[in-house]
Amino acid sequence: MSRRKRMLENLDADVRDHIERETQDNIAGGMSPEEARRRAFLKFGNVSRVREDTRNVWTFVWLEQILLDLRFALRMLRKSPGFTAVAILTLALGIGANTAIFSIVDGVILRPLPYPQSDRIVYFGWLDKQQLIPDLSIPELAFIRDHATNFTAVAGFQGYADKELSQGPSKRWVTAAFITDGFFETLGVSPQLGHPFARQFTRPGGANAAVLTDSLWRSVFASDPNIIGRQIILDNEPYTVTGVLPPGFEYTQPADVFVSLHFDNDLGNNGLNTDVIGRLKPGVSLSAAQAEARLVGSQFFAQASAEQRQGAGVLHLDRYQDYLASGHRSTLLILLSAVGLLLLIACANVASLLLARATSRQKEISIRLALGAGPRRLLQQFLAEGLILGITGAAAGLAAAVSSLHIFVSAIPWDLPLMDRIALDARVLFFTTAVALAASVIFGLASFFQTRKLDLNSTLKEGHAVAGTRRTRTTLLNALVIGEIAISLMLALGAGLLVKTLYNLYQVNLGFNPDHLVLMHTPFRSNMSDAKIWNFERQALARIQSIPGVQSPAIVSVAPLHGQGNVPAQRDGHPENSLSTEYRAISADYFATMGIPILRGRAFQQTDFTSSAPVAIINETLARDWWSGQNPIGDRVVIGEYKGRQYINIPQPALQVIGVVADVKGRLLDRPAPDMVYVPASQALQMNRSSDWIIRTKASMGIAAALRKAITDISPDQRITDLQPMSQLIGTAVAQPSFLALLMGSFGALALLLTLGGVYGLLSFQIAQRTHEIGVRIALGATRRQIWRLVIGRAAKVAAIGVLIGLFAAFGLTRLMASLLFSVQPIDPLVFASVPILVLFVALLAAYIPARRAMRVDPMVALRHE
Amino acid sequence: MSTREDTKRVELLQGTLDLLILRTLLRGPAHGYAIAKAIEFNSDDVLQVEQGSLYPALHRLIKRRWISAEEGASENNRRAKFYRLTPKGRRQLALETSKWDKLARAIARILQPAE
Repeated sequence: MSRRKRMLENLDADVRDHIERETQDNIAGGMSPEEARRRAFLKFGNVSRVREDTRNVWTFVWLEQILLDLRFALRMLRKSPGFTAVAILTLALGIGANTAIFSIVDGVILRPLPYPQSDRIVYFGWLDKQQLIPDLSIPELAFIRDHATNFTAVAGFQGYADKELSQGPSKRWVTAAFITDGFFETLGVSPQLGHPFARQFTRPGGANAAVLTDSLWRSVFASDPNIIGRQIILDNEPYTVTGVLPPGFEYTQPADVFVSLHFDNDLGNNGLNTDVIGRLKPGVSLSAAQAEARLVGSQFFAQASAEQRQGAGVLHLDRYQDYLASGHRSTLLILLSAVGLLLLIACANVASLLLARATSRQKEISIRLALGAGPRRLLQQFLAEGLILGITGAAAGLAAAVSSLHIFVSAIPWDLPLMDRIALDARVLFFTTAVALAASVIFGLASFFQTRKLDLNSTLKEGHAVAGTRRTRTTLLNALVIGEIAISLMLALGAGLLVKTLYNLYQVNLGFNPDHLVLMHTPFRSNMSDAKIWNFERQALARIQSIPGVQSPAIVSVAPLHGQGNVPAQRDGHPENSLSTEYRAISADYFATMGIPILRGRAFQQTDFTSSAPVAIINETLARDWWSGQNPIGDRVVIGEYKGRQYINIPQPALQVIGVVADVKGRLLDRPAPDMVYVPASQALQMNRSSDWIIRTKASMGIAAALRKAITDISPDQRITDLQPMSQLIGTAVAQPSFLALLMGSFGALALLLTLGGVYGLLSFQIAQRTHEIGVRIALGATRRQIWRLVIGRAAKVAAIGVLIGLFAAFGLTRLMASLLFSVQPIDPLVFASVPILVLFVALLAAYIPARRAMRVDPMVALRHE
Repeated sequence: MSTREDTKRVELLQGTLDLLILRTLLRGPAHGYAIAKAIEFNSDDVLQVEQGSLYPALHRLIKRRWISAEEGASENNRRAKFYRLTPKGRRQLALETSKWDKLARAIARILQPAE
């Protein structure tokens, strides 16, 4: 038996015994038995309190009390299910949204990359005038690898491409990632079978090597243990398998096979096009490595030939994860702040509900105070109630987030690195719990502070608050509602700016008419010659033309909004006119099909495709940039030349400009049209090794099947991707701003809805409290209209203050959104004028019902009630 | 504690009760009622203990192992719990007493500086 139990065992007997003795003594002193007993009890004091205090000596008082408080709180909450449901739902909404957004922030920014000691992995880039160019050229990579001493490995990665994997007669498309040797060493990953490939596989003209992912090895090669050293065929070229990666290996985007990248000195390997990563040697600090990188960068410049010198500024390195997250950081942080604000509103709403509810609890609380509950005890009680609301709300929110996170993440239209990792983990749980606890404390404190000035006597006597109390509570409530209005105004303003951004994006002049256009993409095998490609395309165009419903088909190497393909180019004989321009190989009918107007000169004709006279058509922007208003027709441009230097091994002829066309968008909808050079597909360099097909149809007709057939009739194993209406491509281009606008719009709408509830609650509460006063006013001759004005005026005042505060804060905060906006100023006059009006309107709407209730107060009833 | 208007009686400072209990038990083991009476009697009824508050204090002292409790029989053979000062409690009493003396002297000096 514990000491505690032993000691408390006979406590009641001890107390009884004590009082008995005192009674006996008193009787002995001459009192009547009743009087003696009464005096004894009086002298002893509050028996149950003594019992409790004594017990408390032996217990972890707080623990026992908290359990009691929790039980009591549960009972109280169950007694008002409506209030509890609204409070929990509100919280669940706020916490659920926060949990979901935080999981994404966690997965992208906070959680370490899935590689051993991932904080030792760095990436390289050129830092030029505060701007980071995160890609390097192959010569730069080679130089860093050979000269920097602070790294256990340095490697390059050059993107992904689909390749056809053939195994005897069966063929399938796989995604290949191009990497140099040292890639897996840098990531700290060892193959489960074999080893990474050696440097020899990256030499110009060297043999190809491949490292398979576990899933490709299992699915296609049936987990063949003897795969190492065997050759696989990708795009009809042999690759030697040197290793198989462990299961679960992931890089920024999913890939099936990692193949060797050759350091060929051709066009593809001369640009800033390679992600370079390295692993710091143990003990080397980031700053030491940064210092060395600067030095190595300047050494590279000192020894490099002019054409090798692609980068500018200083060679910079930083943690790889920071780089991966950098593009998403501001968007995610803005979303996180938005849901944070939403949660604040939710909390304010629940807190004001709690405050309003306290009216009905005044008597209970007064009784508890009168019975000797100290302020600490009372605070504990309120905290327990807050805790139950907070935890239940968090649990509901978490459940909602768990069940919807997957759908939510897959709806995110931008490429988050390592997106599969986004999930609810311990950190997210911790975050949610912290949020719930913080909310609970806020609720507890809110309820507590309004009891501080409770006047016991008058409350107990009348069951009504005295004037002083009422004012304090209303002040706090007012403040909460003003805060809600201010925050929801901020959220609504943010949403307004994004909606206007979206509207502006849809208003953007694409430069072509997207109606009734169908897009199709055909990637070509790397061993297909340019001539063979054009030959295939010509035949397919003819076939597509004959499909019923097709008005005109055309080919372009890269369709607007579908990607980019740039080359160094120069106005012939004018090294000062050098640019990296977009380069498009097109068929004769491209401009007609797209509806792109010819501004000067002429479009390509069939003869341009059969003759060898090199010609080009340029866009308006390039004409302006190089000829500044003068007529470019007849002048020449050279592809592959830049500031007088050749960047393509095969010398390119100067192209005669035969026409100028109107601008169309490049890859991005929200950027101005890039400089562009069009050449006949028959003469073009097939750089992208793929073509986009643009088909104008007579009406919106289903021609997909016919298109596929037209292609495969000519080339049965030609791959077709991205077959879609052009409008869908535009939808994809605005997917990210749409998603953001939708998200922020929902947050704003929710915030307004909650605020509506908050204002309604405040006014209802105030009117309930002032029924008597209103009755007196009416009895003394106030008109209904005056009463109406009184209530609406109060709402208007609260709303106006909230709106002013919100506007003030928003002036500072919307600037942070600038990177998400498109031709909208962070302080857009239209948005900043209309949204506050909307918020005011919502507040007055909320006041409508309470105002009508106040108008209808019957003075007789109100006064008699007193 | 009590809120009587009797000016002659002084409310006990918190913690002082502990000291008084220890002092009372210095003369030998006693049961609860006897301790209460002794405190009242020895202070000429000036110190008014709300008797109930004795029990939490006793248990607090037991918990700190300054006193121990044992079942026994009282004068007229009734069952009673006897409280006894432990060696640790004796040391504590000496310590507290000297502290209290110092405090009392200091207060006395402040209240009657002229003398």
